[in-house]
Amino acid sequence: MTRRLALTFAFAAVLLGQSTRSVWDGVYTADQANRGQALYAKECASCHGSDLTGGESAPPLAGSGFLSNWTTLTVGDLFERTRVSMPENDPGKLSRAQIADLIAYLLSANRFPEGKAELDKQAEVLKQIRIDAEAPKK
Amino acid sequence: MRKRQGALYALIAIASIAVLPVGAQTKDTEWPTYGADLANTRYRPLDQINASNFSQLELAWSFKTDNLGTRPEYKLEGTPLMIKGVVYATGGTRRSVVALDAASGEVLWVHGEHEGERAMAAPRQLSGRGLAWWTDGKEERVLYVTPGYRLVALDAKTGVPVHTFGENGLVDLKLNDDQTILPDLTTGEIGLQSAPVIAGNTVIVGASFREGMTPKSMRNNKGYVRGFDVRTGKRLWIFHTIPTKTEPGYDTWLNGSAEYTGNTGVWTQISVDEKRGLVYLPVESPTGDYYGGHRPGNDLFGESLVCVDLKTGERKWHFQLVHHPLWDMDISSAPILADINVDGRAVAAVAQPTKQGILYVFDRVTGKPVWPIEEKPAPQGSVPGEWYSPTQPIPSKPPAYARNGISVDDLIDFTPELRDQAQTLIAKYKIGPVFTPPVESKLDGALATLTLGTASGGTNWPGGSYDPETHTVYAYACNACVTPIGLVRPSKELSDMDFVAGTAGQEARMRTGPGENAGADSVAPPRGGEGRAAAPARAGAGGGGGGGGGLTVQGLPLIKPPYATISAINLDRGEIVWQIAHGETPDNIRNNAAIKGRDIPRTGQSGYNIGTLVTKSLVIAGDSLITTSSSGARGAMLRAYEKTSGKEVGSVLMPAPQSGSPMTYVWNGRQYIVVAISGGAYSGEYRAYRLPQEQ
Repeated sequence: MTRRLALTFAFAAVLLGQSTRSVWDGVYTADQANRGQALYAKECASCHGSDLTGGESAPPLAGSGFLSNWTTLTVGDLFERTRVSMPENDPGKLSRAQIADLIAYLLSANRFPEGKAELDKQAEVLKQIRIDAEAPKK
Repeated sequence: MRKRQGALYALIAIASIAVLPVGAQTKDTEWPTYGADLANTRYRPLDQINASNFSQLELAWSFKTDNLGTRPEYKLEGTPLMIKGVVYATGGTRRSVVALDAASGEVLWVHGEHEGERAMAAPRQLSGRGLAWWTDGKEERVLYVTPGYRLVALDAKTGVPVHTFGENGLVDLKLNDDQTILPDLTTGEIGLQSAPVIAGNTVIVGASFREGMTPKSMRNNKGYVRGFDVRTGKRLWIFHTIPTKTEPGYDTWLNGSAEYTGNTGVWTQISVDEKRGLVYLPVESPTGDYYGGHRPGNDLFGESLVCVDLKTGERKWHFQLVHHPLWDMDISSAPILADINVDGRAVAAVAQPTKQGILYVFDRVTGKPVWPIEEKPAPQGSVPGEWYSPTQPIPSKPPAYARNGISVDDLIDFTPELRDQAQTLIAKYKIGPVFTPPVESKLDGALATLTLGTASGGTNWPGGSYDPETHTVYAYACNACVTPIGLVRPSKELSDMDFVAGTAGQEARMRTGPGENAGADSVAPPRGGEGRAAAPARAGAGGGGGGGGGLTVQGLPLIKPPYATISAINLDRGEIVWQIAHGETPDNIRNNAAIKGRDIPRTGQSGYNIGTLVTKSLVIAGDSLITTSSSGARGAMLRAYEKTSGKEVGSVLMPAPQSGSPMTYVWNGRQYIVVAISGGAYSGEYRAYRLPQEQ
């Protein structure tokens, strides 16, 4: 598939509201979230708080304050924001696999369901997973 | 369906015809300084964009700042200038300077300084607030201060450093400062994020430091203010914000504490009355934002408005807004120069918005308060070793325009249950009116003093605007930015202070400000691959704003709405004319289960970095948060209010919150509004709006 064609498909998917999956579809595993939790305590908690409620200038990473910032964006957006800018004093320090673990932990802390497969470490794949604050109506 | 669409198109067509009346010629209008003029009014008498058409604004151009540095920036705070069809701005993690075509946004030139370790150690990194422009009628220059504290003069036409200025276009601001910057020129703590100010041929530069909640030492470099010759870079004068032994004010630092205390800089914008040759310096807190036991006394000129002579830097008058500062109130924004009429008498005034939500108004020639300011008894504290001022000055007029203390009545009251829970939560804290001092944090006592109108404000660095036609100040203020201030004894390794900010039961940690260690030169850029070995990480914890994260009741703010306001304050009468909540009700409040379904008036949005713009008929400011509109669109609104009433008359959806104050200009007959946006997933961008082309 040519790049342009791929972009056209991606664009069409967005237009049609067909982000293929959402965070309600079990997009990470419990093991991955556990790894992420350990990493969070080491790399993130000093600014974002051990309970993810944020600090004096770092935003919360759980709860309604966090979700209202990120709902309708994608897990890929969150992944890329983290990758290019965090931790603030040394971005680039964490590997993409570690960032995926961290985000699995954030998803778990925000009570999105775990699943059978681990969260991918490619932003392009994660951009197909939509963050929805509210569970889909069944 | 199709029919409705047709009707819609017809409506749009009619609306767009109405946008720019044929023959409406508007004179080209510049925005030549950070605050529009040296009085810092943020005012331009333009009316092409008005109540009838504001919502039809469309994007003329945008400029993404990602590549002005080694990584994107998410905290773009600049306000550009526009002179002769060129927009000048700072941006990016390197604080580069860009010149853009005012109509198209095309890049004309870019300049950046690679400062290496000096920028890496800088207390104030990232893109800064802006720059200054100068001409003698022939030559044109733009000047700015780098993260590493160098004053740079560039040729405005080419962006090339002016080699006759300083050394090849640079003045090292760490030198020739009547002090030796310690420990060395590379790592010595001093910098500046605000724009320099040029009046006549004098460029005036202040100083800034790290966030002061957890100083490493009671000793620090001092934040003097200097004037330089804009042609040569030669120092013309210096004002010692902490007096030397032979200068007046030295005796307000007991036990010789003026010798070693530092900070006390002017980190925000300076204003100048060029006609009278007077400069107005808003001075910040001395070393130790919340503990002053090592600097007993009133500590002049800490948290004072100081008027100095433009030619010599000699002090004409001063007024200390806060004696013996303990709350990080600073003076955080530009003094506003205003010519007003009080009881039939013309007064050349200066009005100072503040974090504490008080607008202090003085005769700017004599320094006398326009309305009486009384010394009133102030609450006293009990932190060991602290020195307390028995009184603090309280203006009789105008009334405070934002909350600056906390009482039970300020707590959340959507339901009686929520109020009860809030009262339970604050039982662990001390509360009180303005100037209630910090406490030593104790597990079996108060954990902290809960404050409003302190570190965050109130009105922080964006300051206010002023309408010279109606003599009205417009000021945004956060009304719910809670800062808990508790003090703990630090370890010897952390600080030689007796107390620093902290919470009992938690290890005291160094608190850094937003953006500290995040500049272009700070560390190697991120890589797309599998990461790299961990670099030595510096301690970092929150800092800066004082959001009071965690102080919520069922996910709702502890303090009741409005969370932020814009106030119109008439300076002839010293009265608040109107006050409105600014910003949409945040999604997480509107959708909160505890209050869902209730009809809640617009709450405004808690945030401390919103600035306003005033035009012939409008007050303009953006939202500080992303929200979802009733149509499901997500973004932050740029809003226009009728300036006489505060009634909202239009809005435009932006992809990210306003993070730098808006400005406006006219070029080739068309009015533009430019605003810096960033935050969340959105990196820094300048956006220029104008009306659609006439049909």
